[in-house]
Amino acid sequence: MASMEKRLQKELLALTKDPPAGVKVDSQRICTNLSEWTVDLEGAPESIYEGEKFQLMFKFGSRYPFESPQVMFIGEHIPVHPHVYSNGHICLSILTYDWSPALSAQSVCLSVVSMLSSCKEKKRPPDNAFYVKTCSKNPKKTRWWYHVLLNKVERNSVNMYEEERPCDMK
Amino acid sequence: MAEAFNFDPDKNYDEATMEQQRNIEKEISANQALVSFQIDFDTVSADYSKEDETYLGKIQDLKIKYKCVRRTRGDGNCFYRAFGFAYLEQLLTNQVDYARFKEVATRSKDELVSLGFPQFTIEDFHDTFMDVVEKVGTPCTTKELHETFNDQGISDYLVVYLRLLVSGYLQKKADFYQNFIEGGRSVKEFCNQEVEPMGKESDHLQVMALTSALGVAVRVVYMDRGESGQCNHHDFPEESSPSVYLLYRPGHYDILYS
Repeated sequence: MASMEKRLQKELLALTKDPPAGVKVDSQRICTNLSEWTVDLEGAPESIYEGEKFQLMFKFGSRYPFESPQVMFIGEHIPVHPHVYSNGHICLSILTYDWSPALSAQSVCLSVVSMLSSCKEKKRPPDNAFYVKTCSKNPKKTRWWYHVLLNKVERNSVNMYEEERPCDMK
Repeated sequence: MAEAFNFDPDKNYDEATMEQQRNIEKEISANQALVSFQIDFDTVSADYSKEDETYLGKIQDLKIKYKCVRRTRGDGNCFYRAFGFAYLEQLLTNQVDYARFKEVATRSKDELVSLGFPQFTIEDFHDTFMDVVEKVGTPCTTKELHETFNDQGISDYLVVYLRLLVSGYLQKKADFYQNFIEGGRSVKEFCNQEVEPMGKESDHLQVMALTSALGVAVRVVYMDRGESGQCNHHDFPEESSPSVYLLYRPGHYDILYS
């Protein structure tokens, strides 16, 4: 536990001191043991989200950094994006299967910003209605299926009972 | 008889499935040490049924060539943990190689940073790794090293660092390793998906990369369903004289003692 707090302190310092463009930690909204953060994001200039403001919530469990943080959009304004469900859940491989302890809150912010910046059309994931109705509150309790566009790497064989959540990597 | 399963298309089964997965993981960690004590081959034989002549025959073959085994936990990190323990255990009594290895290990952090790994996350893992390397250099017993490797807090840090070393080496030699990567992925994507995350199993590429990165020769002895009656082996790098011996059974690495 102590090592987790030490690590989070280091991360928070780095993110406050040297935040990626469009990212700002809301230090008012970080709880005392550092296990919950709120981060302000702003849509990048010249992207279709330019000027829009979003909020990300991070929850770090006691196994962090060996387990990924729980990350989702919160608040009134959830970006309309093919990998973001209307309840704020994000389909992004580094938040589950591809998480590595060498990644950080900062790398998550960068991936989310880049995911938004590379989007060409504002739309919700195709299974948004079903997913939002049936999913757990915690996005880490969803079994996400990731696909690499073009070369179609399947991460698992798709179970016939499984609702496929079509997401591209990165 | 088990209750018939009726699939409800309006229900989300994710949570139940993941709960089951977690219970399996819990059971594994409750029953398997990260690195076990040394055990003899008769204990290994007990893993197989009496009718399993192929495997039992191969265990007899191992018994002639090797003294005993140390098991590692089947958590997807077994290659790194087996390699790490077996090699550091060697270094307890090999001062010449220890000095060489310590230098390689010390230097490795700056190399990773120069490859683009973020210093502030790498540092923690490197520090812990070096603490253990230091400890091996002070009078340290096998028992103490064994305890260190079974302290999950430390042991997992070591695994992470070895994973980073593999990733760094593959990326440094990307031109060469690109030829072995399937699925049209780049070396970096492969590292992000198959090397750096915890619990991802290791294949030839990872074995090649780690042994080359650290300059340690490893023999992997394969115990599979092949009919030959003997276990084949492969040395990494080829034609080296190995100092670490690992036993590979499909999907899992343990440590062998000669």
